[in-house]
Amino acid sequence: MADPASISCEHLTYSYPGAAPALSGITLEVRAGEYVGVVGPNGGGKSTLVRLLNGLLVADSGHVRVAGFDPAAEPFEVRRRAGVLFQNPDNGLVAPFVEDDVAFGLENLGVERVEMRERVREAIRSVGLTGYERREPHTLSGGEKQRVALAGLLAVGPEILLLDEPTAMLDPAGRGEVLGRVRELRGSRTVLHVTHHLEELFDADRVLVLNGGRLVAAAAPEALFSDADLLRENRLVLPTVPRLASDLGLPFCRTPEELAAAVERRSRDNSGVEAR
Amino acid sequence: MKIELRDVRHVYSPGTPFAVEALGGVSLTVEPGEVLGVIGGTGSGKSTLVQHLNLLLLPTSGQVLVDGADALSMDRTALRRRVGLVFQTPEQGLFAPTVEEDVAFAPRRLGLDEGEVRERVREALGLLDAGHLAGRSPFALSGGERRRVAIAGVLAMGPEVLVLDEPTAGLDPTARGDLIGLVVRLKASGVTVVIVSHDLDEVAEVADRVCVLGGGAVRAIGTPADVFYADTSPAPTTVRVAAAVGERRLPGLGRPVRYGETLAALRSAMGGTG
Repeated sequence: MADPASISCEHLTYSYPGAAPALSGITLEVRAGEYVGVVGPNGGGKSTLVRLLNGLLVADSGHVRVAGFDPAAEPFEVRRRAGVLFQNPDNGLVAPFVEDDVAFGLENLGVERVEMRERVREAIRSVGLTGYERREPHTLSGGEKQRVALAGLLAVGPEILLLDEPTAMLDPAGRGEVLGRVRELRGSRTVLHVTHHLEELFDADRVLVLNGGRLVAAAAPEALFSDADLLRENRLVLPTVPRLASDLGLPFCRTPEELAAAVERRSRDNSGVEAR
Repeated sequence: MKIELRDVRHVYSPGTPFAVEALGGVSLTVEPGEVLGVIGGTGSGKSTLVQHLNLLLLPTSGQVLVDGADALSMDRTALRRRVGLVFQTPEQGLFAPTVEEDVAFAPRRLGLDEGEVRERVREALGLLDAGHLAGRSPFALSGGERRRVAIAGVLAMGPEVLVLDEPTAGLDPTARGDLIGLVVRLKASGVTVVIVSHDLDEVAEVADRVCVLGGGAVRAIGTPADVFYADTSPAPTTVRVAAAVGERRLPGLGRPVRYGETLAALRSAMGGTG
């Protein structure tokens, strides 16, 4: 049996009815504990991949294993081991109070009451929402709602998190909240993170590029972001900080602070040259 | 055209236990020909605010003036023709068998003759670099293409003011860049643009002025440099870079906001030839 917290796809192909293949011949493997980004143009196949991984869609051909199970044959085994965080938090929240919402997945698994209460409490704490148990989800901000949804996944205790553009609808503060929580889970969970915001993947272990239903690249973030042709061919745009660094002839930078340090070093070198 | 909001309050479900005040007295002017960026957290009132610009929502109290006249006394249909509103994920409204038919729907309902309708459709699709999609089914397009077609449908009405609510959410980086290019072209052709966005980098790139909403009130309004340098959290990436450079012992960068300005300022701070 495969390692429990891993994803593998072999020659995966899927077409929506009456359309060209949304995914064709995808072969990939995500190791336990890896943090892997997925990027690519609209229509590239990113969301289709997520839906195949948790059994919402069934592949036309090829093999999928998620935590050792075939999501098409055993979707419930897969879903308790691989939680999906979708783009729109409003679509996922169902219960009148935050704690009921977080408990929803557990209830469906038939977890015993005392244990359930403890797991819900811990999940709410782990997303920084202690004190929100009796709040009504519709009164929360977008970032808070997404964290409630994340807590609902974590309560089930998944080994794998599938993040399908979880920050697309959020304001900058909400994005930061959700990304911060996801970052804390690194290493303890396998994470597959689909996004259009490349700066969210600066510290990913690997980034996969899907375009036209094909896996066209898999690279470390630094290598991907240094490859101007690859970016352009896949409708990707270098985020502002590394783009400034590149236009200034400086090495790859992730954050404003790194860029400021690089600018300072270069300016010292330049003034040193002039003084001599 | 100039739109003024004067002390506009908006209460959802007034007089019920569910009454929520979404706007608590907002005064704001949209100047003719400008690009006004509206930013603020989730629930700050952005979408409620912009729906008052063409009276899709009516103020609970306060006034909306169009070129100095009370908008409430104007013909609502004519006002909505002049102030086009593109909602979040507008592609959900596409319905016709071809892109061309979809974009032609609204101008045809204006009672324009067929030649004029065709001309407007051609022009709107052209502005969005979507002319080649005219014969396609809107349902066979990518997300970015569908978004552009939906916006073309509003542009074909020939609005003087175009309001875009989160136009780039969920689009890939290239499609986001294309839409920002569209805003620049619209401004050049004399259209006033109000753009609501969570993406401060894109607002920084196109806005002449920025309005920050919070808790249903205007927290700040002014040039991007005035607004973003007064409070750098959250701020566009360019401003955060300039702030980080300012914390080191380097010559001041000034207050660059747009990408090109920031690049030039950093170049000169590095001295030499870079």
